Amino acid sequence: MMAIRVPHGNRPVSIAPLATFRITFGLLMAYSLLRFWMRGWITSVYVTPSFHFTYWGFGWVHPLGDTGMHLLFLLLFLASLCIALGLFYRAAAVIFFLGFTYVELLDVTTYLNHYYFISLVAFLLVWLPANRHYALDAYGGWIKPRPQVPAWTIGILRFQMGLVYVFAGLAKLNADWLLRAEPMKTWLPAKSHLPLIGPYMYDDWVAYLFSWFGAGYDLFIVFFLLNRKTRPVAYLFVLAFHGATALFFPGIGLFPYVMILSSLIFFSGEFHTRFLGYLPFPKNSLAWGTYRFNRPKAVALLAGVYVFFQLLLPLRFLLYPGKLFWTEQGYRFSWRVMLMEKAGAAYFTVKDQTGTKAYAVDNKQYLTPLQEKMMATQPDLILKYASYLADIFQKKGIENPRVYAEVYVTLNGEPSRLFIDSTVDLAAKKLSWRPYDWVLPYENNLP
Amino acid sequence: MKYPRLILPFLLALAGGIFYACSDKTGTPDPTPSGNDTFKSGMLTNYADRIIIPAYTDLTTQLTTLETQVNAFLENPSTTTQEAVRPAYRAAYLSFEGTAAAYFGPAGALLLNSYLNTFPAVPAKIEQAVASGTYNFELPVVNDSIQGFPALDYLLFEPGAVGKFTGPNAAARKKYVRNVMSRMKGLVANTSTQWQGTYRTTFINSLKTDVGSSIGFLVNQFAYEMDALKGPRIGWPFGKLSNGMVFADKSEGYYSGLTKDLAVANLTSLKKYFAGAEGDGIADYLVLLGKEALANQVLTQFDVAIAALQAIPQPMTESFSKNPAAVEEAYRQAQKLLTLIKTDVASATSVQITYQDNDGD
Repeated sequence: MMAIRVPHGNRPVSIAPLATFRITFGLLMAYSLLRFWMRGWITSVYVTPSFHFTYWGFGWVHPLGDTGMHLLFLLLFLASLCIALGLFYRAAAVIFFLGFTYVELLDVTTYLNHYYFISLVAFLLVWLPANRHYALDAYGGWIKPRPQVPAWTIGILRFQMGLVYVFAGLAKLNADWLLRAEPMKTWLPAKSHLPLIGPYMYDDWVAYLFSWFGAGYDLFIVFFLLNRKTRPVAYLFVLAFHGATALFFPGIGLFPYVMILSSLIFFSGEFHTRFLGYLPFPKNSLAWGTYRFNRPKAVALLAGVYVFFQLLLPLRFLLYPGKLFWTEQGYRFSWRVMLMEKAGAAYFTVKDQTGTKAYAVDNKQYLTPLQEKMMATQPDLILKYASYLADIFQKKGIENPRVYAEVYVTLNGEPSRLFIDSTVDLAAKKLSWRPYDWVLPYENNLP
Repeated sequence: MKYPRLILPFLLALAGGIFYACSDKTGTPDPTPSGNDTFKSGMLTNYADRIIIPAYTDLTTQLTTLETQVNAFLENPSTTTQEAVRPAYRAAYLSFEGTAAAYFGPAGALLLNSYLNTFPAVPAKIEQAVASGTYNFELPVVNDSIQGFPALDYLLFEPGAVGKFTGPNAAARKKYVRNVMSRMKGLVANTSTQWQGTYRTTFINSLKTDVGSSIGFLVNQFAYEMDALKGPRIGWPFGKLSNGMVFADKSEGYYSGLTKDLAVANLTSLKKYFAGAEGDGIADYLVLLGKEALANQVLTQFDVAIAALQAIPQPMTESFSKNPAAVEEAYRQAQKLLTLIKTDVASATSVQITYQDNDGD
C-alpha cells in the first residue's frame, strides 16, 4: 500500500531527495524553535508550571529549570542548523532527536501530532545517510560522499508521510465529520473576518465542502504523490490544501509548512538535483557508488520493527469500547488531526477518608491555563491531576484523601454533559491499559 | 521533464510565504479592518459605544461624586458625614462591577481591576502604610490589596473608622485616603480616555476569535468573572476551600455590607454584556451561529443565578454561617453558568478559554 517497494528496497537511487529533506527539515526546525522561544513559550510551558502532566511511564522526566530549558533550546537550535548544513550531521541528529523528544515528554498537555511527527522523523534521520551529499560533512572530507542511497531510505520517509495522511483520512470517516460537518461547522464561522471568502463561512455547505474535501485529500493525496504522472498536480494540491489550513487555522502553527516541505520527498532524484543546484552547495562528486549500511541486516530489522509499530499504534483504539473522541483511549499518536471540537470545565473536590471534610480545589492554584484546559477533556490527565491533588492534600495533613471530579464536556457542538463519574474516588484509580471505567458512557444528546 | 519549471516558482514563492505567514503573531489585534463581517463589527461597535465606554464614563462620574463625599467626611469626620459617603461609595462600587467584564485592552494594560478591586484588603498592611507614610501603589500584586475599593471599604467603614480620623494620626490617614481616591480616579480616567481614543478602533476592528481578539477577550472575561463569582466572591469566604470554615471578612465589600449587592451587580452586568444590552451581543452571535437554544439557556441561567443570589438573606456575610443552604444554591447555579460559558459558549464561538496562546492541531 505504501511507498516502500520491498523487492527493490535496496536498489540505488539518487541521494538528492534525502538531502533536500535534511536541509528543509533542519531550517524549519531552527525557525520553529526560535518561534517557540520568541513567544515566551519555553517559560510559560516548561518553567512556570509547578506540576507537569508526564506521560505514562515517563514520570521521571523533569524540566531543567529556566536557564537549563533555554540552553537546551539553544542547543537544539544549533543542532537543527547543523542538520540543515550537514555538519557533524550524525551527532546533530542524535542531539536533536533526544533533545526534542525529551522536551515533548515533559508535558502531555503540549502534545501535538506534528511534534510527534517531528520526533519520528528526527529518529529516522539519525539512521539515514542524509549527509553523504550536498553536506559540509561530505565536502569537508570527514565522511565519504555518496551520490546514491538504497531506495528504502527515501521510501521510509514517504511511508511516514503516507501514514500521517492515510490515517488522518481514515479518522475522518465518521458521522460527525461527514454527515454533520462538525467540527468545521463550528470552526469556520470564526473565520468570517477573512476578506472575500468571509461571508461564506456562515454557510453550511462550505463546512460540508471543507469536510469532504479534507477527507478525500487525506485519503488519496499520497497515492497521487507517488505516481510520477500525477505528482506535479498533486503537489499543487498539497500547496493549496496546506496553504488553506494555514490561513484558516493559524493556531496550528508550523504544521502546514512541515507537511508542504516534507511532501517534496515524493519527487524524483532528478527534480531534487535540479532544486539543489540552485543552492550554493560546493560540488563534491569525488566518490561514486551507493551508500551501504555497515550492518544491513540489523538496520533492515530495525526498519521493519519501526514500520510494524507505526502501522499498529494508530489502530490500538479498536481494542477499546466506547466512542474514541469521548474516552480518547488510543487517540494520541494516531494522526487524528483537527478532528474534534472539545471543551470542558473540571471541578475537583478533595475529601478526607471518612468523607466528612470537603475541600473544593482552585485549579488555578496548581495548573497553568493551558494545562487546565487540556486536562479538562482528557480522562488520563484528569486521573493524573487527581492523584497529584491527593499527594498535595496528604501533605497538608488530610489522611488518605479521596478526590472527586465533576467534569462537564462538550464535543463537536453537542450540549455539555457530565464526563467523569463524580461518585468515583479518582485517587484510588490507577492508570492502566484497561478501559477507563470512571469515564461515563458517551450518549448522543443532540437536540 | 517539464514539471520542475512549474514547481520551482512555487517553491520560491513558498519560501517567502512561509516566513511571511509565520511572522503573523497571534495576540496582536489587527491594525486595520481586514475582514468584511458586518455582524461582528456591528456587535463590537455596540459593545464599545453602548456598553463599555458608557460604563467607564459612569464610573468616572461616580468616583467624582464619591470623592466629594469622602472629602466632606475627611474635613469633618463624624458618623453623619460617614453615612453621607455610604450611598456614593455604593454607587461607585456597583458602577465598577459594570466595568469588570471589560478587563482587557487599556484596563488590562493598566491592571485596572487588580488595583481597583483586589479583595480582601489587608488591614495590617494598610495600617503599616498609613503609619509609615511610605507606600507605592504602583507595585502590582504586593500592593494591590492596600488600595482601591477594598481599601476604602476598610478605611471608611470598619467599626471605629470615624474615630481613627480624629485621633493623633488623623492627618496621615486622611492623606492616605486622598491618595487612594486620586489613584482610583486617575486609573479610571486613563482607561476611559484610551477607550474613547484609539482603542475603540482597535477593538471594533478585531474580528477574529483567537487569543487576543475582541471576541476572545469578551468570552474569556465572562468565564473569568464567573470563576471569580464562584470563587473569591462566594465560594472562598463561604468556606468551599476550607471545609466549611467561613471567612466572612474575606468577602468583597465586607465592612460596608455590600457583598450581596456587589455580587448581584456583577452578575447583572455580565448578563448585560452577554446579551449585548439593547444591541447585538454574544447571545445574538450564538443565534447567528444556529445556537439559539444555547443562547436562551445561558440567558435563563443568568436569571436563575441572579435570583439565587438575591434569595440569600442580608447581610450575605452572615448568611455564610446562618443560611448555608441559600448560599450553596447560589454557588451551584453560578457553577452551572460558568460551565455553560466555559464549555458550550466557548466551543460554539471557537474561543479558547485560556489566556495563554499556543499551537494546536
